[in-house]
Amino acid sequence: MRTTVPVIIAFLSGIVMIVSFFFNPDRTILGQIESEVLVWVTIVGGFTLLLGVVSITRVNFRSVRLQKEGWFFNLLTLISIFVMAIPSILPVSWSPLFGDREGSIYDWLFTNVDSIMMQTMFGLLAFYIASAAYRAFRARNAEATILLLTAVLVMLWRVPMGEAFLRLFSDDLPQWINSYVMNGANMSVQRGIIIGAALGAASMSLRILLGIERTYMGKG
Amino acid sequence: MNFWDKISSLDRRWIYLLVAIAVILPLIFPADFPVRITPEATQLYEAIEALPDSSVVLLTFDYYPSSTAETEPMSFAALHQLFRKDCRVFTMTTIPLGGPSIAERVTRTVAQEYGKQYGIDFVNLGYKANYVAVLKGMGTSIEAIYPTDNSGTPLAQLPMMQNIRNYKDVSFIFAVADNAIVEYWISIVNAQYGTPIGAGVTAVSAPKYYSFVSSGQMTGLLGGMKGAAEYEQLVSKPAIAMKGMGIQSLIHLLIIGLVLVGNIGYFFGKKKGTRGISV
Repeated sequence: MRTTVPVIIAFLSGIVMIVSFFFNPDRTILGQIESEVLVWVTIVGGFTLLLGVVSITRVNFRSVRLQKEGWFFNLLTLISIFVMAIPSILPVSWSPLFGDREGSIYDWLFTNVDSIMMQTMFGLLAFYIASAAYRAFRARNAEATILLLTAVLVMLWRVPMGEAFLRLFSDDLPQWINSYVMNGANMSVQRGIIIGAALGAASMSLRILLGIERTYMGKG
Repeated sequence: MNFWDKISSLDRRWIYLLVAIAVILPLIFPADFPVRITPEATQLYEAIEALPDSSVVLLTFDYYPSSTAETEPMSFAALHQLFRKDCRVFTMTTIPLGGPSIAERVTRTVAQEYGKQYGIDFVNLGYKANYVAVLKGMGTSIEAIYPTDNSGTPLAQLPMMQNIRNYKDVSFIFAVADNAIVEYWISIVNAQYGTPIGAGVTAVSAPKYYSFVSSGQMTGLLGGMKGAAEYEQLVSKPAIAMKGMGIQSLIHLLIIGLVLVGNIGYFFGKKKGTRGISV
């Protein structure tokens, strides 16, 4: 029962979405069912966010209670979640500090703490990329050499100083990189990857619809 | 250990110092760099210019705060062009963390400059979970997916949204994103409803989208901060992305220099096996 019902729901939902694609949503019952199902999906999506909060709270609370290694960071995570969430959930009519509008506690924390920390973490990548490129990007064989030369060309082409440098050799060189590297070699490889991934996604969807693939229910 | 071996095993902190200098120097001594505009950026700009005045345009803020250096200048530049053309703009996001706040802040900042009014000239729909269902559902009814805007005002009370029922009423979608959501905009919205889509994405994800531009499924593409700088130049509003070109130029040249030095050290040094090194 615990397996059959989800498989039936997945099958019916998938079939409705596939078949309704061919019908006008305004004029057919099937199209209207599709619209209704899509609204349900967004509502279910909202509940999954809540489920995520419950899960992260449980996991971190357990670590704090048992004082596991690094429990202090678990405590910080819990405090962060609730300090951000509670004021944003409370109604604005109680205080202008509640809600998520400009001037609220949530907005202040997001702009001055959360956003800055995320940008800092992303910015640190520049240091690691520079160090990694210096130590690991070696022309060890023909393939690596081609990759290295292409990367150097594209990196030069993507910045004004580099582009000016390329123009010293030929005025058409930046345009050549755009036409033959980005819209040539890159594009053909990307198309292969995209088509391959789409075929994989289609076959996986079919396996889920037919109940062959059940890993999403925790079954092998 | 010869000279080149020493170069190969240079302490990573020296590299970090060089990166820091390359970032800080252009901030202290700013310089203007001529930015050449790529055909993909021109295509996007011209597609919007070709829209009739007062057209309805959907601008998405599908990016996290971490990538705002690359993506936010695109949003600003896009809004300058759209408001200058008196387009009616509604915004949305598929990013729960920060998406609605960024959309609110950026849109209101530019709207103020052009004297645009909320609810009449622009609307922020905010965030809804499960983006595939959101994108698909908006094809039938935007109001069914977003009964209210980001502040909780019913769409029926917003004059601008009263004639915007679904994608058929939208002339153009400008997706600014730092993730794979653009693929869904293409496969769900452009492929199934035919709405033209242009996108501004991070530099790392831009190569993927050249094939969509070439096939006509996308109308123009901005890649990374360079793409943002190109667009700022196109809309004649040079701002943060143009300023960032100096930093990005120096960092790219530094990395190329480091790669070259690293390879010279690799070939002339005695120690060739450098596996498992820490970065």
